[in-house]
Amino acid sequence: MPRAIGIDLGTTNSLVAHVDERNRPAVLPADEGRPLLPSVVWYGPAGELEVGAAARRKAPERPVDTVLSVKRFMGRGPGDVRPEDRGIYQFDESGAVVKLRVGGGARAVTPIEVSAEILRVLKRRAGEALGDVPGGCVITVPAYFDDSQRQATKDAGRLAGLDVLRLLNEPTAAALAYGLDKQVQGTFAVYDLGGGTFDVSILRLDQGVFEVLSTGGDTHLGGDDFDRVLARRLIDRGLTPRAAAPSPAVLRGAVAAAQRIRETLSAEPAVEASVELPEAYRLDVRLTRAELEELILPVVERTTEPCRAALRDAGVARVDGVVLVGGATRTPLVRRHVRALFGLEPLTDLDPDTVVALGAAVQADALDRGGREDVLLLDVIPLSLGVEMMGGVVEKIVLRNSTIPASATQQFTTYADGQTGMVIHVVQGERELARDCRSLARFTLKGIPPMPAGIARVEIAYAVDADGILQVSARELTTGIEQRIQVKPTYGLTEDEVEKMLVESIEHAEEDVSERFLREWRVEGDRILSSLETAFQVDGDLLSPAELGQVEERMAGLRTAMAGTDYLAVKAWIESVDAATKVFAERRMDKHIRKAMAGHRVDEFADHPPATGSRDDEHEPGA
Amino acid sequence: MLHCWSCKIQEEEPTPFCPSCRKIQPVGRTEDYFSLLGLPRQFGLDGQELDRRFRELSRTLHPDRYARAEARERRLSLERATRLNDAHRYLRDWRLRAAYLLKLAGTDVFAEGKTFADPDFLEEQLEWREALALAQADGDAAGLARIAERARARLAELEGEVAGLFDDPEWFSELVIEIARRLSRARYYENIVADAERAGAARRV
Repeated sequence: MPRAIGIDLGTTNSLVAHVDERNRPAVLPADEGRPLLPSVVWYGPAGELEVGAAARRKAPERPVDTVLSVKRFMGRGPGDVRPEDRGIYQFDESGAVVKLRVGGGARAVTPIEVSAEILRVLKRRAGEALGDVPGGCVITVPAYFDDSQRQATKDAGRLAGLDVLRLLNEPTAAALAYGLDKQVQGTFAVYDLGGGTFDVSILRLDQGVFEVLSTGGDTHLGGDDFDRVLARRLIDRGLTPRAAAPSPAVLRGAVAAAQRIRETLSAEPAVEASVELPEAYRLDVRLTRAELEELILPVVERTTEPCRAALRDAGVARVDGVVLVGGATRTPLVRRHVRALFGLEPLTDLDPDTVVALGAAVQADALDRGGREDVLLLDVIPLSLGVEMMGGVVEKIVLRNSTIPASATQQFTTYADGQTGMVIHVVQGERELARDCRSLARFTLKGIPPMPAGIARVEIAYAVDADGILQVSARELTTGIEQRIQVKPTYGLTEDEVEKMLVESIEHAEEDVSERFLREWRVEGDRILSSLETAFQVDGDLLSPAELGQVEERMAGLRTAMAGTDYLAVKAWIESVDAATKVFAERRMDKHIRKAMAGHRVDEFADHPPATGSRDDEHEPGA
Repeated sequence: MLHCWSCKIQEEEPTPFCPSCRKIQPVGRTEDYFSLLGLPRQFGLDGQELDRRFRELSRTLHPDRYARAEARERRLSLERATRLNDAHRYLRDWRLRAAYLLKLAGTDVFAEGKTFADPDFLEEQLEWREALALAQADGDAAGLARIAERARARLAELEGEVAGLFDDPEWFSELVIEIARRLSRARYYENIVADAERAGAARRV
């Protein structure tokens, strides 16, 4: 039977874990027999591909074609790649999504595709270790990831052919691994300093309930920053021959040397070394731990305010324990800093590199078995979700630290006489002005009947699912005209793009692509059949017996196709049912508008309560 | 009137689970935030009991329990868990709880464009803002902390007053404006607390 797996898709390293026969989470070998797969992908000029340690070995010779720390680009648009992250890469700035030019400039790949390559390797290695294709999986994300970063991660999972059961926040995963292992109770902080992201979460653990009270962090803060400041210092002081603007290969070599030196200084008081770099450069290093600490102190101090804010938001003054997660927390300075900040000796019993993957495996196993009676995770949304108002001000609709899934609605009105459309700009963040927040999506609600300004009532409903991903719908209340819009992230891929990438992916053509399409279209068919059955109970009289007969015939056809294995047949029957029910949908709309005019309340016959929604509900057939 | 979507058995009241086949059911139109948590529709509430019920219900309703269920059950679990989380969020915050009771009684205090004339409060508002701006300009962390503390004390007073007003059995016909006015004052003090704390934190870093 396929086994569920948990994946920690990290900035520097990625891991895969499962729950073994003795019901214990364990990491699986992912790269050359080791559990850590470096999150590095190399694209060769002739279309070759290497992932992990092998790709990292290619880095000195082909730095531009070797993608490291791709997580920093997930869900980002070309405009919001930070200068310090641009590094040596060549960007393709033409589209809405960041693309990297690799393979000697021959290919442009999105961060989603690069991440999918890493996930594919993890999936394959897990399959080899377990002797079976993995079943469902849980992928972890930084708690502070916004909607587009989460969506991008989910798309990468899909692209890698994984059945993603849930995205799980990294600190929550760590708490799960710790809590179950140590049977702890009380209020805990999880301090997670990884390669590229910093997260802090405050959780309450009580009788198997892991309730996240608050979360904070910085998606651009991590061990990579230590290496970058150290590499700069090493180049300034010890590069021979001297070079004002070293080449990408030399820079990359210096950063790799910085990482090794930093790790050595976690155990040793001083380092003296001479490192050969590409292009006949050499780096002479003499550094003490104290000197290193002075360099990285400003980076470590950037974690202070997010921790204080998280404690404030949680409404607690102190915690019963602090869990350390992420390789960068091995740095002695970081440990001292945490001790001073929380007034406690941090817990380090579990390996900070593997604890997140272990927690993900526990959750994947639980989800796969329909949940566990004894464990419940209650997570929160990290950043408020809002809408842009007139004047560029943000009205927050779902506040940060709300337990997910969550929903909220807000009413708006028109500002001009006869206004028939309304632009809805969905943003995420805590700042007052929309331009300072993250833009998630922009769409227009059309078909508002012309009325004097201020009369129309437009209700915007936000629904955040258990993965922390948002759906938005808007409707005009006086007439009941409703548009349920699948909000596509501004910097994400469209459904078509994902589908196209899937088809293009050779591994998929051989593997299970049709199997997965079949499953997805069956879900869609299910949804349509059940909503039609409900509609017939209420409004069946709107169709003549002949019309009803025709629709029912096609519904029967769809059911037969869904029982078969050809996804194209299911898709075709869905289209045929859609076509046959168009008239029915129009008549229902007419009836409801008439009813609304007759003074009834619109929500008496709304199909769904306005304050709830789900991704399944929103899914539109892809073609 | 209600029928289970799965086994079609008739039910008297909306319930999370069909009493007969145990399948999860849609949220009924008559279910409000109080009934979702099995609590009486009133302002006074035991916070610990609220949390306890919320957790117990979450254990059975959360989408994690339905990851492998059929599409319809997954959707219903998401719907129920969303409503449960919304209910918990609203009821545990006394201002939201009061506003929700007013809304159930037909007055949506936080709807767009709704303001309650409160001339007596204007002057006080200006004084608070002035004190805050002054402390901020001086970088007076202790002063900012005192302002936050005083605003919190005002919030506690308002909560007591609102609780008192809801004790009147005729509150929904007589005292709605009185309550609404206090809620908008409370919102004002909340902002003072938040701004003072933010300014204080900025001083520290």
